[in-house]
Amino acid sequence: MNFPLAIKLLWRDWRSGELTLLLASLVIAVSTVTTITLFVDRLQQALYQESATFLAADRVIASNDPIDSAILQKASQLHLDQAETLNFLSMVFSADRAQFASVKAVTADYPLRGELIISEEAFKFGEIVRHGPRQGEVWLESRLLPSLDIKAGDVIDIGVATFVVSKALIKEPDKGGGFSNTGPRVLMNMADVPLTEVVQPGSRLSYRYLFAGETNALNEFEAWAKPKLLEGSRIFGVKEGATGIGNALDRAERFLLLGGLLGVILAGVAIALSAQRYALRHYDHVAILKTLGATPNGIDSLFLVIFIVMGIFATFAGSAIGYVTQMGIVSLLQPFIPIELPAPGTRPIWLGLVTGFVCLLSFALPPLLKLRSTEPVRVIRRDLEDANVSSRLSYGLGILGTVGLMRWYSGDWTLTLLLFSGGVVAVLVLSVIAYGLLKSGRVLGMQAGSIWRLALAGLQRRGQENTMQILVFGLAIMLLLILFLVRTALIDEWQSQIPVDAPNHFAMNISPEDVEPIRNLLNDNGVESQPIYPMILGRITRVNDELAKARDKRTSESRANDGNRGPRSGSTRNLTYAATLPDDNRVVAGTWWPEDYQGKALVSLEKDLAESNALKVGDELVFTIQGRELETTVSSIRSVSWDNMQPNFYIILSPGALKDFPSTFMTSFFLERENKVFLNTLLRNYPTMTVIEVDAIIEQIKTIISQVTLAIELVLGLIMISGALVLLASIQASMDERFKQHAILRTLGAGRRLVMGSLIVEFCVLGLFAGILASIGAEITVYALEVEVFELDYTANPVLWLLGPVVGTVLIGIIGTAATYKVVKTPPTIVLREVA
Amino acid sequence: MRGIDLEIKKSETVAIVGASGSGKTTLLSLIAGLDVPSSGEIYLADRELTAMDEEQRAKVRGEMVGFVFQTFQLLASLTAIENVMLPAELKNDPDAEKKAMELLRRVGLEHRTKHYPRQLSGGEQQRVAIARAFASSADILFADEPTGNLDTKTGARIIDLLFDLNREFGTTLVLVTHDERIAARCDRSIQISSGMIEPENSLEPSSSVAG
Repeated sequence: MNFPLAIKLLWRDWRSGELTLLLASLVIAVSTVTTITLFVDRLQQALYQESATFLAADRVIASNDPIDSAILQKASQLHLDQAETLNFLSMVFSADRAQFASVKAVTADYPLRGELIISEEAFKFGEIVRHGPRQGEVWLESRLLPSLDIKAGDVIDIGVATFVVSKALIKEPDKGGGFSNTGPRVLMNMADVPLTEVVQPGSRLSYRYLFAGETNALNEFEAWAKPKLLEGSRIFGVKEGATGIGNALDRAERFLLLGGLLGVILAGVAIALSAQRYALRHYDHVAILKTLGATPNGIDSLFLVIFIVMGIFATFAGSAIGYVTQMGIVSLLQPFIPIELPAPGTRPIWLGLVTGFVCLLSFALPPLLKLRSTEPVRVIRRDLEDANVSSRLSYGLGILGTVGLMRWYSGDWTLTLLLFSGGVVAVLVLSVIAYGLLKSGRVLGMQAGSIWRLALAGLQRRGQENTMQILVFGLAIMLLLILFLVRTALIDEWQSQIPVDAPNHFAMNISPEDVEPIRNLLNDNGVESQPIYPMILGRITRVNDELAKARDKRTSESRANDGNRGPRSGSTRNLTYAATLPDDNRVVAGTWWPEDYQGKALVSLEKDLAESNALKVGDELVFTIQGRELETTVSSIRSVSWDNMQPNFYIILSPGALKDFPSTFMTSFFLERENKVFLNTLLRNYPTMTVIEVDAIIEQIKTIISQVTLAIELVLGLIMISGALVLLASIQASMDERFKQHAILRTLGAGRRLVMGSLIVEFCVLGLFAGILASIGAEITVYALEVEVFELDYTANPVLWLLGPVVGTVLIGIIGTAATYKVVKTPPTIVLREVA
Repeated sequence: MRGIDLEIKKSETVAIVGASGSGKTTLLSLIAGLDVPSSGEIYLADRELTAMDEEQRAKVRGEMVGFVFQTFQLLASLTAIENVMLPAELKNDPDAEKKAMELLRRVGLEHRTKHYPRQLSGGEQQRVAIARAFASSADILFADEPTGNLDTKTGARIIDLLFDLNREFGTTLVLVTHDERIAARCDRSIQISSGMIEPENSLEPSSSVAG
């Protein structure tokens, strides 16, 4: 190996400007990837931290019994922050009223993540604190104050102890959504629990152990603790713990990964293109070196050294630039990002470095390795074609590198294989179409003016290269379109999940005689109420003449086997009846009854309930309601979007079926934060009704979604820059050929207008064709991605078919013309000498 | 090429002449080991080129052979002196620069050592190429139409330089040309047509005309 010579050649190449493009695209590629990964990593960390407030911790162990103290010791060893909460149901008493409440006792460090909001007055936004009540004090959820007819400063009894109600509790981070909370919250100090004497052997208790700390420590802790947990205990994090948010986070994470992936592929393509150009320009060098006695092995080691030195320089410089760029982006965006970004970890930097080297190996090495087989006789016989750079090796390395990186980034074979095979099929089909388009262009061009004829003839003559170029352009545009479309679909989906004026309060247990007065009270106060649903407790007791309990037992074995934790048919549930199908529900089997239906009782079941209990349309169900039986037939199965924060029911009966049963009613309404004190009036007048506030959780979900949306927009922007880089590299790669051709035309007397015109037309036509291909490819891939990976409902994208060609034409037209503008500015002799 | 039987002795100067497309360049690239024949044997200083692989042939070229080409074939990214240093550098010769400087002085370009090929005229470029050819201390020098891209006057000077240096270094010279005046300055002329060597006696009249 001739190391000094290699370094000298590298230095001389650099000095003469031969290396600039390759090095630039390497550095830019690595720095883009590093920027994206660093940024994504920080955003992800930030999103997780923000989402952790839903649990008030990073990890939670929920248990019905106290857990082994060894687990807590392990957490201390790993320097995790810890807190405990204990939940139990109890009656609470004021001077003259009593209420059933869900009491939560907390230790000093609660909450580990997120914050509490407390206030002097019920339903009024107050101060933010990060601790629970002191000993001897309790904080009461707002609605308890009017229903107990007390105010802050009064006392209540829990069990045998008396506490001062020091504040109204406006918001607690880990309250959870939905209606599963059985009573309004009373928050107390853990140290006071024994005084109440409420907690006795056999009480139904739920313990939560909260942990927060570094990701690695948390993961180690989770892995260590999981097998040691007894039956009735489980450990979980944000994703498992906060349904609805977990889903959004999961999709966002997949999107960010997809973005990172596409960024890497685009960078890889840019590197491959400039390496190929570098190699093409070095065939003559190698041939001369060979006549001077350089052996094929010598050439290999020569360019290997050049390659490695360049790679080291490019990856380190790229990583450094990436780091700085990312810092710049963050400091620019900080005012717009509603969350504090944690410091970047070291992992993304390694990721950037490794990515850089893998990109180099799989995309830049193959063309360089082909140099060894350059024939020395080339120096004499100029008619020899350039050795064909693409070979089994280069394809092999390229595929290996791409798939490897995709798998590494996404950690997901489905996503990887889907994207990759989509890409391969696209390339095959599209190259045929591209060639066809070029041919048809020629036919059209024959009838056109000289600028067009020149441009189209040029495109046609270098048919293979141009097919290749259309493919590269098309691929880059396609990836950008895919990202754009998936982003739009995701954001639409999230935003439609929670409309702006979605009801954020639910009123339940309204007695029939109170329905009208309450509705009037709401209207008088300018509150618009939603439809009123009757609610009657009942349960299914027989299915097709088999006892439901026996059937549950029979099906529960098979349920346990496939990990099915769906709702059981025999549980007591809230039943309702309705003439029309509620919004957001969709009938997936059977039919919904007519609006004026008055016949035999029919029932519509929710999909999960039906599936996990093997119930189907036509089954005969017998309900037991208030001790009486009601025979019904299943007429439809519905899907329900549980995330939408609307009143949803597992079981809906046909109108009239329940008219003989006394029922209470429920409704929902929208209240702004500043109008919430109205609830005091409402609850003082109708103490038996229950109001459930979901405004806090809706706000929390909206915050998260807007942050995730912003993250996605930012990543999209970064990828766009990557895409532009590929286009530039691809145009650069074809530059020599175009320069030469147009310089010759100019020596033949072609005017600046003709040359410029034909260049513009050439690039615009390339861009148009590429845009058409990109639209085809994007539509197919987006379909697969939305259905398979993001689990969204696919809708066709007619805009795409306009967007693709327009973006292609404009983008390639502008970049191409700008990049080749030099050709008309430079005297032809100089151009010819430089590219000779 | 068919039926070629040719022997070139040490220190001999030989011209290969013939019309365009007659195969003279092909013959040169075969003898020089740049290309391999489909059948037959070629020996260079008792070493059988046709039995070697590309790796070994490259070694032989590095040790024994120098080239001058019609299109000069300088590396565009290297300065004049760097181009001349290249053969010695490939052999890890520590004196590469000193030797290159001496040769450039010998071809009269000591004042243009730091220039890039595109900054030099055609004649200057060919002088750099000749300096590079002798820098490899080759036993045999192959020249392919060395004046083909130059005007008559410059061409004549290049040929003078080539023959002077050749005499000085005692190198074997094989030169492809269609210029009979150049061929006449060689010890021997080999006429090629349609890939075959014409009998040598047929050259006598033309060489006497030139002389």
